[in-house]
Amino acid sequence: MIWQQFLSLAGSYPLALRGLGMTIVLSLISLALGTLLGFGLGILRTGGNRLLSGVIGAWVDLIRGTPFLVQIFLIFFILPEFGIELDAFTAGIIALTNLAACFICEIVAAGIRSVPIGQVEAALASGLSRWQRMHQVVLPQAMRIVLPPLVGQYVLLIKDSSVVSAIGLTDLTRVGWLVVQRVPNGLLVFFLVGVGYFIVCYPLIMLARRLERRMGAAHGEVQL
Amino acid sequence: MTSNPKGPNDYDQSGMTQPGLTKTGMIDFRGVNKWFGALNVLRDITLSVEPREVVVVCGPSGSGKSTLIRCINGLETIKDGHLIVDGQRVGDPATNMTQLRTEIGFVFQSFNLYPHKTALENVTLAPIHVRKIPRAEAEQAGRVLLAKVGLADKVNAYPAQLSGGQQQRVAIARCLGMRPKIMLFDEPTSALDPEMISEVLDVMVAVAEEGMTMMVVTHEMGFARKVAQRVVFMDAGAIVESGTPDEFFSHPKTDRSRAFLSKILRH
Repeated sequence: MIWQQFLSLAGSYPLALRGLGMTIVLSLISLALGTLLGFGLGILRTGGNRLLSGVIGAWVDLIRGTPFLVQIFLIFFILPEFGIELDAFTAGIIALTNLAACFICEIVAAGIRSVPIGQVEAALASGLSRWQRMHQVVLPQAMRIVLPPLVGQYVLLIKDSSVVSAIGLTDLTRVGWLVVQRVPNGLLVFFLVGVGYFIVCYPLIMLARRLERRMGAAHGEVQL
Repeated sequence: MTSNPKGPNDYDQSGMTQPGLTKTGMIDFRGVNKWFGALNVLRDITLSVEPREVVVVCGPSGSGKSTLIRCINGLETIKDGHLIVDGQRVGDPATNMTQLRTEIGFVFQSFNLYPHKTALENVTLAPIHVRKIPRAEAEQAGRVLLAKVGLADKVNAYPAQLSGGQQQRVAIARCLGMRPKIMLFDEPTSALDPEMISEVLDVMVAVAEEGMTMMVVTHEMGFARKVAQRVVFMDAGAIVESGTPDEFFSHPKTDRSRAFLSKILRH
């Protein structure tokens, strides 16, 4: 009985690989775009423009305060009502990118705010331009604060990508649902699905630790 | 000078500029006012600093002396009056403040070195990125400057590995790297342990003796006597008294300056 289930599972491995691939591609694209967008938003959020900062803050609160499943339904099922037709993959990318950008925006803004005002004043006094101050002085210091929660957020977002299975994208989670219809052993199937996610996420967790150590050393801290 | 309260429009007759010269000072405050909310932190400041002049600003805590010099490079904005620095009007939309700041070195009480950069990188950052000096050239100049402030062996040290006095000397070298026309010092030795104060003051004396235009907020009277041409005493946002160091320390004219001096000279 168990043996048959294993054989049947083994037969599903091309599907499983496809699902894993979809999860990875979806995550990679939306995390890359979300990081770029999130840094941009975070910088604007802490910039001088109050209106812009307020609008970004409101949007971030809205996205953080509503379930991702609802957001993805809105993008996939409601936007077409207004004439914007999106395929499931594009809709998934947009929804995940937006979610990532909002969380990353707040992480980046917190990091920027943690840099002492004296640092900005020193950079100002040296005649550095706005971009140079950000790039040379503020962001490198903010990164030390940003990096650990950022990579932690990546892990959460990769796991959140499982929600795209709800609009029919064949990611790892949906593969689980498909396989469990043929192999009626939910515990085994979803255990393996979990392992799949863990395989993707664990290197990131390791990476976060390494980066943290490296940033610490680059900061000239005396190692005890 | 400003102890007689003249309006900003009387400036040209106020005797600050030499008669017959239309040239303005390197730093020119004309009837400058500033408020923090309801608090009048700068009251009708009129003060002119000539090129190569060293002016020491002193006064009790909260008297507005830090605010005064922070206005010069636009770290604080003024409410009314005119402030002309190196011929350019601070706060005027037509003035490129970023450009003007490259001509003004500013030394902070708390050093504000970039903690993620070495001493040399702190010194070369602005020359490379703002002055567009080639890296190799900037690094060579940076090494010379660090040697000049006595830190030739700390070129590759991070700020966290340096003492307060060493950090402040790097901060001075960082300003000098831009070859500024003006150097402003905001209580540069107040955050230092006593045994480190003189190493920083020695560097400042050397900078002054090279003919730098300087405004220094400090209570280091030894420094003032040695290099300052003028001491300006502030209280409650106004310039109460100004004169040569000898005049000011030996014959303070006002009760407030006498009271202040008796407090700082008691020890």
